[in-house]
Parts: sequence; C-alpha cells; structure tokens
Amino acid sequence: MTTTLLPIATGARTRSVVLGFLRPQRARLAGALTLLVAGTIAGLVAPPLLGHIVDLATKDGSTGDFVLAGAGLVGAALFEAVLAGLGIALLAQVGEDTLARLRERFVESALRLPLEQVEKAGAGDLTSRVTNDVAVVAEAARTALPEFTRALLTIVLTLGGMAVLDWRFLVAALLAVPVQAYTVRWYARRAVPLYARQRVAVGAQQHQLLATIDGATTIRAFRIAGEHSGRVAARSQQAVDLLLQGVALQTRFYARLHVAEFAGLAAVLATGFFLVRGDAVSIGTATAAALYFHGLFNPVNVALALVDDAQAAASGLNRLVGVASLTTPARAGSESSDAPSAIEVRGLTFGYHPDRPVLHEVDLTVARGERVAVVGSTGAGKTSLAKVIAGVHDPLSGSVAVPAGEVALITQEVHVFAGPLAEDLRLARPAATDEELWAALAAVDALDWVSKLPEGIETEVGSGGHTLTAAQSQQLAFARLILADPPVAILDEATAEAGSAGARMLERVATAALQGRTAVIVAHRLTQAVTADRVVVLENGRVVQNGPHEALVAEPGPYAVLWQAWSGQRTH
Amino acid sequence: MKPALTKQRRLIATGALLATLHQAGEVSVPFLIGVIIDRAVDGGVGDLFLWLGVLGAVYIGLSYSFRYGARAGARASEQTAHDLRLQVTRRVLHNRGGAEEGRLPGALVSIATSDTARVGGVAVAIVYGTAAVVAVVFTAVLLLWISIPLGLLVLLGLPPLMWLSQFIGKPLEERSETEQEHAAEASGVAADLVEGLRVVKGLHAEEAAVSRYRQRSQIALAATVRSARTEAAYQGVVLTISGLFLAVIATVGGILAVRGEITVGQLISSVGLAQFLVGPLSTFGWVGADFAQARASSRRIEAVLSAPVAVTGGDATPVTPVKGQIDLRVRDVALKIAAGETVGIVATDAAAAAELLRLLSRSSDPADGVVELDGVTLASLEPEDLRAAVLAVEHHTGLFDGTIRAAVSLDRAEPATVDAAMAAADADEVARGLPDGLDAVLGDGARTLSGGQRQRIALARALATEAPVLVLHDPTTAVDAVTEARIAARLRQMREGRTTILVTTSPALLAVTDRVVFLHDGAVRAEGTHGDLAAGDETYRETVLA
Repeated sequence: MTTTLLPIATGARTRSVVLGFLRPQRARLAGALTLLVAGTIAGLVAPPLLGHIVDLATKDGSTGDFVLAGAGLVGAALFEAVLAGLGIALLAQVGEDTLARLRERFVESALRLPLEQVEKAGAGDLTSRVTNDVAVVAEAARTALPEFTRALLTIVLTLGGMAVLDWRFLVAALLAVPVQAYTVRWYARRAVPLYARQRVAVGAQQHQLLATIDGATTIRAFRIAGEHSGRVAARSQQAVDLLLQGVALQTRFYARLHVAEFAGLAAVLATGFFLVRGDAVSIGTATAAALYFHGLFNPVNVALALVDDAQAAASGLNRLVGVASLTTPARAGSESSDAPSAIEVRGLTFGYHPDRPVLHEVDLTVARGERVAVVGSTGAGKTSLAKVIAGVHDPLSGSVAVPAGEVALITQEVHVFAGPLAEDLRLARPAATDEELWAALAAVDALDWVSKLPEGIETEVGSGGHTLTAAQSQQLAFARLILADPPVAILDEATAEAGSAGARMLERVATAALQGRTAVIVAHRLTQAVTADRVVVLENGRVVQNGPHEALVAEPGPYAVLWQAWSGQRTH
Repeated sequence: MKPALTKQRRLIATGALLATLHQAGEVSVPFLIGVIIDRAVDGGVGDLFLWLGVLGAVYIGLSYSFRYGARAGARASEQTAHDLRLQVTRRVLHNRGGAEEGRLPGALVSIATSDTARVGGVAVAIVYGTAAVVAVVFTAVLLLWISIPLGLLVLLGLPPLMWLSQFIGKPLEERSETEQEHAAEASGVAADLVEGLRVVKGLHAEEAAVSRYRQRSQIALAATVRSARTEAAYQGVVLTISGLFLAVIATVGGILAVRGEITVGQLISSVGLAQFLVGPLSTFGWVGADFAQARASSRRIEAVLSAPVAVTGGDATPVTPVKGQIDLRVRDVALKIAAGETVGIVATDAAAAAELLRLLSRSSDPADGVVELDGVTLASLEPEDLRAAVLAVEHHTGLFDGTIRAAVSLDRAEPATVDAAMAAADADEVARGLPDGLDAVLGDGARTLSGGQRQRIALARALATEAPVLVLHDPTTAVDAVTEARIAARLRQMREGRTTILVTTSPALLAVTDRVVFLHDGAVRAEGTHGDLAAGDETYRETVLA
C-alpha cells in the first residue's frame, strides 16, 4: 500500500494561522514586549553607571558620589528585575495560550480525520506529530522563544546604547556581524541535515531496544541473544557517532563565534583607546562600551545557537498546522429512515487501489435485529466489507446504506485509554452514571475483576496505569459498545487475539453486548457462525453462499468444506 | 556507575584539563579589558597592540581548549552510556533471565536509554565541574592580587548571595517542576487518544474525546502559566541579587581607586571578574543536580544488572544425540512423552499452559517437582544448551525486523529446510503475496502483515529449527479453519520422528496428534486420542469444541 503523508503546511500558511491565533492576544503581546524593552533598557543603565564610577575614580569623587552611583545600580537592577519578570510572565502567558489553542485545534482535527486518510499515511505519521512535533513546538514556545526574544532585545538595545555612548563604538562592534552572519549560515547548512539524521538514528535505536527487550523470551528460546546484542550495539553506536558529530559541529560553530568576539572586542577596545587619548570620550565611557560589548557575548551565543531549534520548531509547526487547518466537518449522524432493512449493500465494488478491487459486486441486505456472520478464508475480503459498511472506506462503485442509523465498529485492535477506567467507558457515553457503568461491566462479565481493582472503576488503567490483559481490554471494548448503544454493530474478529480459551469467553460477552442490535460479525471461529441468524461466505471478494448455518452445512460448497475443517473430529 | 566511568578516565581527565584552560581564558578576558583601558591613560600605541596581541593569543587558546575539551567530555559521556546500554541489553537477554521480573518492557527501554544517558552525563558534569572549581580559584587569585580587601569582599560575599538565591529559588523551582509535569500530561493524553483513534472512530466518540482533551489541555494551561510566573519571579530574584552584588563591588572598588589603593584598570578588571564569577558558580548548581539524578539512574541500572537470575545452577550439556523423551512430574501433574511422539496438551487453565511452556524452556524451574529430558533433570542443564534441544515457543512470540528469509532461517537453517518450513506453516503463500517474496523486508515487528500472516511466519521459524523437541503454544489462533487444518497435517509430516508438543485447544491441531493429555484442576484428568476424549469427556468437549 502506498503511503500518502498527511498534509504539511507551507511556511506562509503556518505564519498566517499562527498570526490568527495571536490576534486576540495582541494587547497582551504588546504589553509583554513593552515591559521587556523597558526592563532591558533598565539593565543597560548599568554599564554607563559603572563607567561613571570609573570616571569618579579618576576625578577624585567623594564617597557620597560612589554611594549614589551604587544606589543607581541597585535601582536599575530592581527596575530590570520587576519589569523583565513581569514581561517574561506575560509573554509566557501569550505563548502558552497560543500553544494550548493550537494543540487543541490539532487534536480536534486529528480525531476528526477520516480513518482512511490516517491509514493511507501510516499510523506512525499522526502519532509522531502528536508526540514529537507537539513536544518540539511546546519546548520552543516555552524556552527558546522567550530566550530568543530577550537575547534579541538585549543585542539591539545594547548596540543602541553603544551608539549613544559614541557612534564609533557602534561601528567597531558591528565589525563582528559579518563573521556572525557567515557562521550562522555555515552552521544551519550543516546542522539541519545532521540533526535530522540524529533524530532518525536515536529513533532507530529506541525502536531496536524495544523490539529486543519486548522479544526477550523469543530471543532466548531461539538462542539469538548474540545477534540481538549486536543489533542493539550497532544502532547505539550509530546514534553515538551522530551525536558526537553534532558536538564537533557545535564546537566548530563556537570557534567561529570566538573569532567574531575577538574581532569586535579588539575593535571596541582600540576605538576606546584612541578616543580616550584624543579626549573624545572619558575613560568611563570607554569602560561602558567595553562592558556593553562583553555583555553581548552571551545573548549573541544564545540567539545564534537557537537558530537550529527554531528550524526544528518551524518544521514541527508546519506539520501541526498542516493537520490543524484541515476542516473536516463534525460527523453528522447516519441518516436513518424507516426502511425495513437495517443495512443495504447494492453492487458494491471496493479496492484500496482502483485497479485492484478486493470486493466485487457484493449485494447484502441485513434485516433489523438480524445477526449475520461473515466467514471465508484469509484474504477473502471480510475485513474490507466490514470497514465499508462501517463507513471507513467509500465504495468504488455500488452503494452502502444503513437505514437503521448509527454503526459502531469494534476490531481486534484493543486500546485502553489512559486514566480512570470510568473515564474510558464514558468516552462512549459522556453522561453515563456510575450505575450505568457498573451495569455495562456486569453485562460483559467484568464485574469480578473490576471490583477487585485497587480503586474499582476509578482505578487508573492504560498506559502508565494498571495493565489489563488482552481479554479484559476487549471486555471493556464491549462495555463501551453497550454504553454507546448504537442500533448497528460490526465486529471484526473482535475475539481473535485473546487465545483460544479467552476467545470463548469473549464470544459469550459479544453475544450479550449485541443483544437487541443488528450485527455483522466477521469471524474465523465458526462457533460464531453457528449462533448467527445467517451466514455469508466470501471467497475472493465475492459472496458465494448466503443462508442459515444448517442450510449451508447441508449443501456442497465452500462453507461445508470450512465447517468440515473446523469441526473435524468435533462430531462424534 | 563507577566502573563504566572509570573506563573513560583518560577522556574525562583530558576534557577537564582542557575545559579548565578554557575557563582560565574566559577569566582573562575581563581582566585584559581592564588592562587595555588602563593603557589608554598612560600607555603608547605599542602597548595597545601588545595587549591586543595577548588578547588574541588568549582567544586562540580558549577557543581550541573549549573545542577539544567539549569533544572529550561528550565522547566520554556517550561512550559510558553506550557501554551501559549494552550491559543492560545483555543482562535482559541473559540466558538465565530474571531481569524482566517486575519490569515492563517500556521501563527497561527507558533504563537502557534515559538512565544510561544520565549516568554518562556525569562525565560531562565532572569535566565542567572541575573547570568551574579551577575558574573560581583562578578568579580569586587574580582578585586578591589586585586588592586583598576587594578580593575578600567578592569571595566572602558571593557564596551567601548564591545561597540566598538558591534558598529563594529552590521552592520556586520545585513548584515549577511539578507544574511542568502537569503540562506534559496534556501531550500524553493527546498521544493516547490518537493511539486509540480506531476505537474512538468505531464508537463515533470523536466529540467526547475532543471535549475531554480540551478539558485536560485547559488544566495543563493553567498549570504551565502558574509555573511560568514562578519561573519569572525566580529570574527576577536572580537579577536583583546579582545587580546588588555588582553595585557593592563597583562602589567599594571606586572608593579604593580614589584612595589610590588600586588603579582604574584594576577597578574595571574587578568589576568584570565579579560579573564573570556568576557563571562558574551557577555551574555548581546544575552539576549538583546532574549528580543527584545520575545517582538515582545508576541505582535503577544497577538493580537490572544485579537482578537475580530466574534459574540457578546446572551447566551440563544434554546427551547427544537428543532422543527427545520428556518426563514431567510437577505437583499433581505427571506427564510422560516418548521420543518422537506428537502430543497435544489441553489445559482448561490458561496459567497452567503458560507455566508448562516456561518449565520446558527452563525459563523457570519447578519449585515442587522435576522435569526431565532423556532421563536428565532440566535443572542440571545449561539453559542455552537445553534450548538447542527443546524449543518452546510462547503464544505471543515476536517477529524481528529483517527479510522473511532471515526471520525464518535465523541465519542457520538450510534453504531447503526454510522452504519446507514455509510450506508446512502455509507461510509460503504469505511470501508469494509480497512483491519481494522471501526477501521482503518485515519492518516494525511485521505489523504490516495481518495477525494470521504473522503467526504463520512465526510457526515457519519454529519448524525451520528442526529442534529435537518442539513445544508450540496456540500457534494458529488467528488462522482460518481451512488453512489451520492444512497446516496441522503438514506440521505433523514435517515433525515426523521428532518429539512435538502442541499446547492448544484447537481441534484441528489436536486431531493430528498421537495422543492428548487433558489437564484440569491441576492434574491430568484424562489421556487418549482426541477422538476418544471428545467422545468420552464432557469437560473436554466443552473446552475444545464449544
């Protein structure tokens, strides 16, 4: 199956979406920036005050003069602390608010995406966006962005301060800029592809470790521990090599910035030297200029080093906005009508590729309340039929209608949502009372083990919580079905993964959960066919037999063969 | 964590030495600024260029020492982490097991990645911590050389100020950390919902899921905003304290300069040095935190590495050629399987079936009984040598990345054997359906294949080993009935002459066995052919045929 990745927004689109998110926060953002500018300016009063102290020292200032200057320094520091502190807090609020709205919009769009589109992209695409990209963007908004803003303000305002001292200091300081500009371009060209490879290598290492550790029992049984240690070692070494290459690149980046620092500092010092000798400025002013420039080292390093963080965040943001700006309308409930049948499939042809249909001209009518089992060998098209009826895929030709209303699809893929068990169940019916939850659990035979959980239905389950077995997770799936209470339910091998003993228990549970519903059951265990009202046999994408179990067993055909194989020695 | 780091001591020492030189260079810069400005008053142009030359030389020195110091530190750190990662992996895979006891795979992976990285990070912490100590000492010497009172003021004043900012900052920082965790939860919930996307979609619970996420996201937002405010307050405190410190130094320094006790250049140097000191002193903060984290990580790694093995003792080799006779007497269960027999074992209790597999592969030894292979107790055999004779494959068995051919042959089995095994497990049909056939690459645990396809390839792998004794647990639960019957017949054929134990309730598989042992309520309830048991035992019929 070819994969079509989910959309990625262009830079321009991302900018306009983010600006849209920021619009309601305009006033706050302006306030934050004003506070930060004021705070930075207060901080930049320090070097001239220190210069003033130097001047006082050369001009025999009195102790009172020094104390006054010192008090000025304390005042400046207090102003800076209060203004910058408020500015940082306000900026963070703007950032967090925007971030929260972006991730909410993203999750909303992601959950509303047609399943078909998600499957075409591969499950990994959406998962990696919701974990990695959200984390990268959040980290950037939380730390990189405010740091970058402050560093940038400090740089710009410091350069302004140098110009105020004497324009020649500014000219001298700007000598460093070409070197820095060159360095950033040099670095970005190398860093971006290197970090991309690094992330891939670290991911591969993680993946290998999980596969190896998860499969430890199998590895021991087949005596392939040596080979697997080797695989882990190779993956780990690869990641280590790339991480070290990254460190080497960073040190070369800083070496270039050191050149810029030296060039600028030497120029500022030489300028000061000649200006003082020519009596154009006082020694205090030269000191202030030198301190200004020395004070630039840190912000410059911070701002430039954040360039690659910014690039990673920007590409993550493009991927988030790509999904977030998809407008999938909230799903309208299936149109129900008074037609006597619950499901009407007419001349259905379906395939994942238009030229390779897996279902051909399928006709199927299911009456209200009827229970139909779909059987056939692997690859016959059973799952595809289930998905098309459930509305996951659209037919290539023909029609599918469900006059009975809402269709629920339960597959063998079990997922227990992280959080209290009750909340997991309430996804199916948000307003359910505790009594309703317990009733649903009782209906699926789960009363026993749920009441033995440490905190009953309030026990944390799922990832990070209490681990449930495959069979228990599937019981929960059926409990959700009861709570959601749809008129039509489609079960796609929902009892398969639990092993043969568990499968029997789940079949009982499924029967209870399907009480009063129209049901289509995809089954490889024929016990489910025996208890169904009707059996539909698929072969190579076509319906080849259709009728109650007793009738089909009696006539020669694939079902009789299947039954023979299944029951084998069962009939004695 | 000591031995792993000791291996890297040369790199760490080199890194520390170079980082120290770098710090010395960084200290010299503000000092030289003072010197050069001083020359403007009473020096010549020659002096300017001389001192700028010195500044240039310092820059070359600090740049190169930083470059190679940072690389040595990083290499030591990464290498330590790599070594530990492999140690953890080897321990987990150790043929006597035991490391997984009480630990989920995800937790072990996190130990092998995050915790090893944290312990490796100690190398970097040592490098920069050492350099910071030397930098503080060097600064102190310079300051005391400029002026003893000023130097003492800085050296005695700075530690309490640092302590004060820590004292005020600590609770703030802790509060901010717990709130950050709260925020991380929001992305956790999102990932969880996306992982369960099919379930959400299947129930049309999108709206419920969205509104639940909104709620969590808003709670997280409130927490992060609180945390950001705390953080901002902390930064304000640090700014105030360092500003106060600078003001005191500058004022006192100015007064000393007026009195002629220090030169103007020395005043400038002192101010620069006092500003510089904040850097190395804050290094102590993160070095301390890193050490504390590394200690906790190291304990977790150590716990895995020193986990008791699951089976102790026994290093004999099975007598060759292995005949394949199994004799098991555990508690009330007595089981005798003759060499070359194909036996089905039906257990009403899933735990009993799983235990049987563990005992036969010597993943655990019976507390109360004995299992024998060809008359020799398994507890006396070296586990790996035993597993060459007895291969027990659990129901949930993983497939690993690589080609189908490699996954089945495990780079040991002959091509003809692989073909036979593929055919017997009906896995040849799976391979034929893929563009590259046997050379198709299975990625990500073969998750692109269906459950039934995975099971058939896993079965082919087991058959291709041609183990003298093969134990299979429910190998065909996801395979349709016709295919299952075909597999059962071919499996029997391929295993002819070798002992095969099928732990299953599948009638298709049981039908091809010589004999079935029915375990119920912790004892052998009945024995006989599948047909006889199905005809004669009601409980058996319920278990197998219902």
